[in-house]
Amino acid sequence: MILNALSISMIFIGLLSCLLVIWGGTSSLILYRKWIKSSTQEERTFLEDRSYLVLLIMVIVLLIRLINWPLFYATLQSFIHDIEGAMCIFGVTQVKPGLTLFLEYLKPITFFLIGGWLILHVLDRATRTSPLMGRKLLLLSIISLFVLIDSMGDILLMIGIAPGTLVSCCTTVTDILNRPTRTTPESIFGPQYAQFLKILFFVTHLLLIGMVGLVLKYKTFEKTFSWRRGILGFFFLFALLNGIIFVLSQIEVFAPTMMHLPFHHCLYCLWQYVPDSIVMYLLFVLGTFSVGWGFTTDLFGRMGEASDLLPNYLRKIYWFAFFFLSASLLMLIIHLLVD
Amino acid sequence: MASNKNKIILSIIFLIISLTFGCSRERKPIDDRCDYDGVKIEPLYGVYFILQDGTEKKFCSIVCASMSFLELKKKVKEVLVVDEVSGKKISASQAFFVGSEVVTVPHNKNRIHVFKNREDAMRHLEKFKGSWVQNPFQ
Repeated sequence: MILNALSISMIFIGLLSCLLVIWGGTSSLILYRKWIKSSTQEERTFLEDRSYLVLLIMVIVLLIRLINWPLFYATLQSFIHDIEGAMCIFGVTQVKPGLTLFLEYLKPITFFLIGGWLILHVLDRATRTSPLMGRKLLLLSIISLFVLIDSMGDILLMIGIAPGTLVSCCTTVTDILNRPTRTTPESIFGPQYAQFLKILFFVTHLLLIGMVGLVLKYKTFEKTFSWRRGILGFFFLFALLNGIIFVLSQIEVFAPTMMHLPFHHCLYCLWQYVPDSIVMYLLFVLGTFSVGWGFTTDLFGRMGEASDLLPNYLRKIYWFAFFFLSASLLMLIIHLLVD
Repeated sequence: MASNKNKIILSIIFLIISLTFGCSRERKPIDDRCDYDGVKIEPLYGVYFILQDGTEKKFCSIVCASMSFLELKKKVKEVLVVDEVSGKKISASQAFFVGSEVVTVPHNKNRIHVFKNREDAMRHLEKFKGSWVQNPFQ
């Protein structure tokens, strides 16, 4: 176990999250079951009053869990000097490869679910009748499960990483000729795959920004109520596709260029050597997730009084998506021009 | 209208921040860092490519250098390696390469050692259960 300010914070947050989500998740599930059985307005008002404390505490826990994702990588970064053979976060991930990989996949999913739930909560709070309360409570109990697994994983990882462990770092994995990020696009685009990937990324990214921009410009949220969900679902899928192309093009084309290391394809090294790329990634993640949050808000938020407020909220969410995606693209272009 | 104006002002502020971030953090030159993976070079294990145009590429280990050699083969005029005993640069064609259980650069687990003299290479080979390795830069 490596003890420093960050790892202690991770363990502390993990323990606190575990305790609170067990209580919060169970409470919200019980409240949800009572909510669907309640028939009178008095009963619902009573349950709303009881859920107030649960929601308040869970909002704070979930907000902390949002910060946990970047904190996780900051903590791994702080371990580099204590792990023999690690030159970037990749080396640290090799101490407990299975658990770390699991957490690396789980954290963005949890982040997305929490973000989507918080938006739903804000939308519900803006109404007078709380039409989304039942869904909110059910989703909260599901998200609690994700947070619980995530928190336990954090604690186990922090305890399990032993100082002085000898590992091999990224060079021996990310730069080999038969790496999947190279062979997959190469099998589709041929030997000039890097050039194709670069063009493909710009095309899909600009298309996504353009589509979101058009929807905002022509106020589609108010007009096309019946097939709005279809459009937003398509946007979400397209944003995910764009995300995959972003990761591939970053590994194969943009990261080596930005690092000035043409044969090195490690994204963790990119964050280390070009720290502002973290901001670019953050903007991209928030932009992509905002597109998804727009879809989930429409999926779960179209109910009763919330339906009337929904178009305004969707416009705000997609405005953020438009801005974040544009800003990340701008940062990338500036980097490529400067480099 | 007022909220729209606020949004535009906010976006411009964010845009300026993004631009500033993008432009201001140019990467520092990597004088003593490996041209393959950016790691700081330990001079005793460094490998240096002299290219046809007179420029130099430097690497932290035989592993990084040999991976780069695949891509740069046509441009390389000469490969210099460092004798582990004296710390002096010698041509790779005159060096003896030994693979042993001793790791020189932990992050890529480089186990190939370079010696100028055959006797030094033999001594290392016997001491650390090594074996002869062909010059990787041929």
